[in-house]
Amino acid sequence: MSHSQRSDIFLLDAERTTWHDETLWFVRQKRDKAVYALPEFQDLRELASQIKNHTLSKLDHYLVQFEEAATRNGVQVHWAADAAEHNAIVLGLIRKHNATRVVKSKSMLTEECHLNPHLIKNGIEVIDTDLGERIIQMREEAPSHVVLPAIHLKKEDVGDTFHIHLGTTKGNNDPQQLTEAARQHLREKFLAGEVAISGVNFAIAETGSVVVCTNEGNADLGVNLAKVHIACMGMEKLIPRLSDLSVFTRVLTRSATGQPVTTYTSHFTKPAPGKEMHIVIVDNGRTKQLGRPDFRASLKCIRCGACMNTCPVYRRSGGHSYDFTIPGPIGAILSPNIDMRKHASLPFASTLCGSCTDVCPVKIDIHTQLYKWRQVLAAEGEIPASKKWSMRLLSSVLSRPGMYGLGGKMARQGLRFLPHGLTHAKGYNPWAIARELPEPPKQSFREWYEQQQKVK
Amino acid sequence: MLLTASEAKNERMKVGLFIPCYVDQFYPQVGIATLQLLEKLGVKAHFPKQQTCCGQPMANSGCEQDAIPVYHNFVDTFQDYDYVVGPAGSCVYHVRKHFNIIDQTPKVEHVRENTRELFDFLINVLGVTDIPGSFPYKVGLHLSCHGQRGLHQANESEMTPVRDGQLKRLLTSMKGLEFTELDRNDECCGFGGTFCVSEAGISARMGQDRVKDHVRNGTQVLTGGDMSCLMHLEGIIRRGKLPIKVMHAAEILNGAIL
Amino acid sequence: MSNSREKILAAVKANQPEELPLPDVPAFTGDGSLEKFTTILEGIGGKVVPIRGITHLDVVVQELFPTDERVASTLMASSVLVDAQTPIEVLAAVDIAVLQGEFGVAENGTIWLPEANMLNRALPMITQHLVLVLDHKQIVPTMHQAYAKLGSVGDYGIFLAGPSKTADIEQSLVIGAHGARSLTVLLV
Ligand code: SF4
Repeated sequence: MSHSQRSDIFLLDAERTTWHDETLWFVRQKRDKAVYALPEFQDLRELASQIKNHTLSKLDHYLVQFEEAATRNGVQVHWAADAAEHNAIVLGLIRKHNATRVVKSKSMLTEECHLNPHLIKNGIEVIDTDLGERIIQMREEAPSHVVLPAIHLKKEDVGDTFHIHLGTTKGNNDPQQLTEAARQHLREKFLAGEVAISGVNFAIAETGSVVVCTNEGNADLGVNLAKVHIACMGMEKLIPRLSDLSVFTRVLTRSATGQPVTTYTSHFTKPAPGKEMHIVIVDNGRTKQLGRPDFRASLKCIRCGACMNTCPVYRRSGGHSYDFTIPGPIGAILSPNIDMRKHASLPFASTLCGSCTDVCPVKIDIHTQLYKWRQVLAAEGEIPASKKWSMRLLSSVLSRPGMYGLGGKMARQGLRFLPHGLTHAKGYNPWAIARELPEPPKQSFREWYEQQQKVK
Repeated sequence: MLLTASEAKNERMKVGLFIPCYVDQFYPQVGIATLQLLEKLGVKAHFPKQQTCCGQPMANSGCEQDAIPVYHNFVDTFQDYDYVVGPAGSCVYHVRKHFNIIDQTPKVEHVRENTRELFDFLINVLGVTDIPGSFPYKVGLHLSCHGQRGLHQANESEMTPVRDGQLKRLLTSMKGLEFTELDRNDECCGFGGTFCVSEAGISARMGQDRVKDHVRNGTQVLTGGDMSCLMHLEGIIRRGKLPIKVMHAAEILNGAIL
Repeated sequence: MSNSREKILAAVKANQPEELPLPDVPAFTGDGSLEKFTTILEGIGGKVVPIRGITHLDVVVQELFPTDERVASTLMASSVLVDAQTPIEVLAAVDIAVLQGEFGVAENGTIWLPEANMLNRALPMITQHLVLVLDHKQIVPTMHQAYAKLGSVGDYGIFLAGPSKTADIEQSLVIGAHGARSLTVLLV
């Protein structure tokens, strides 16, 4: 299915679409308020962008520096070329400790690698501890947003899910009470957790530390109660210096939710005495993207979700319409790198309005990359043949002024003389499903102009 | 009587009128208004007949390579003009930004550099600050994304709460004109070129939401600098039989000057 | 495994662009007042209570939490003794942790809490309520001054801003997700 086909399903529920759009627009407005209040915000974006550009340009150096520092700290560093290797490393570490109970805080990388199914298949209980993630885990769904994984659900949906899985009263849809039920349920899981997996927001090359940002405190609680901490990170999470964090902590949450900072900004440098800490550095297509000059800037992403909140398409099609771990505009420029054919429709799921580029705290030229992916996809034969040929035909008309004048006139006359029922037929003209065609004028501009010239 | 001291300079200027293909075919009155408005401000624009299109429909579909002959036709058509002026931010943006894939000969550079959106041209080249006239309606201003975010003709809500822009300033000088305060000042209308058919459902929904914002806040006349967005919004307004008139801003300004 | 390491590093080296400059981060500054800090922290759900000094902390804590008994602290008499080795069941029973915060950041209401002040790494999260004592003179304007002041983040440390919270159900803000249900800052 293409993005537009999946969107059409989402759009069927018009009221829910309105709700989804308004909820995310509200988040965008909170972001605006936080951004307007900080006079240096645009300077910080520029700095964040430059720091990331620099890091990507010396990534080999920073990876090694990070590994050395982390190793000195008593942390074990692992390297995974792809998702399968990542999953094997994580499972191996869990097995080594004879553990079966794992708690996991938010990590888009482990979603990307489909770690959960792999662990479950191998007899490991893995519990997502972020509330939103836990909800969708119970429902066996994928996250629909990078920061707000359950944003596609209404409180009634959560109430039903908790009724089934946690035994809350049927019809209890109060967010406060549902959160309390999850707190009690997850406390048990935290206390029993043997291994804790976390994501990584930033990895500091000079100190070997990983930084994890949460509002719930679930990463810290999980990690600090378990014997073993496994932090999984994409290799693009690096930043050179501790002081660079000042820039990123200032832009991340303001862009994401409009908060001045997350509740917990936690710096994990050394394991607690008697415990173990592991870091898994994952490639999984990232080096390939690094080698695409037009698209490498997508690796600057800090997963704030702002481009999703602002995207007028995302807000009306929902995260699942992208059918990729990372939805929204950034997902649409990351996904073709992974599987061009499967995700060929995503770069077209945009009007190229450019709002994503303007909110992005690390200044990724998202809409320009969408445009460029379209060119690549067409060149690789990944757009429908009908589209390709109609564009060829259009080009041959538009590059020949004589033919163009004639063709335009024919189209216009066609509109005038064909019956409304035909020009507005559903299967025939997608424009006309919800819109009237323009009223065809008697004369085109050029015809009028010529007439004027003659009169003169 | 409108003409000022700069009129002589304006008259000597060689200005090519760029009327995008869909304006030519479906909205000739917008082309006429553009031409007449320029004339009233002392600029005799000329419409070279061999022009067709900027090539955007092909390029946005991923067929940039197929658009190259169209780009060349555009450059050849307009190379001898000092300025190329068009009433469509999106097409102008395309010329300025995306003609980078052809050989950057002096004539290509000249054309890209000097292709200007109508109101940008009025304000920044002619130095027009206000246009006397009256238009006693509640006007909803639709900002085209390519004009606003691409050509920086208006402030962006992503950057600042201040709602300011070139067209807004020009229209402010109309007597009796009141602007609609929209809930979402600069959300995309969902036209998006071929997007409007390849993602027809989302496109229509975006347009409907934009129109609702105008209805909710009392727009009588919906205007903007880009006829492509307006064509889409007009299609939705007419389908809903809503009491909103759609006009290109050139029509408003040209009509008011009379 | 080390095979992947070499493979990845080689691919990175081959694919990364020419070196681009690393910018210096200017020390943007701002309002570093106690008022600003207080307003922001209260805005994100924290409670700020000025107190005279820490000699009568027990009285203050008793007043704030009249029904809770199990207190773990570095600063006052504790009813639960906590250290790095404390078993999980004991930790899980703590009602209130009273700990020393190092300094606050005015722009976002966050407080630096290093491992050395935590008694146990899990304590600030597992306790039902968290109380941080903070010297009112120890406020910096922004995160730039904060990281400059830190120099090193130590083995483990948290910038902590308010109580644990979530908005994962329909974007409704709920205080008290998994960590402490409340954060009280006692200003001395
Ligand atoms: S692309 Fe930019 S705006 Fe989108 S999630 Fe990444 S950092 Fe945020």
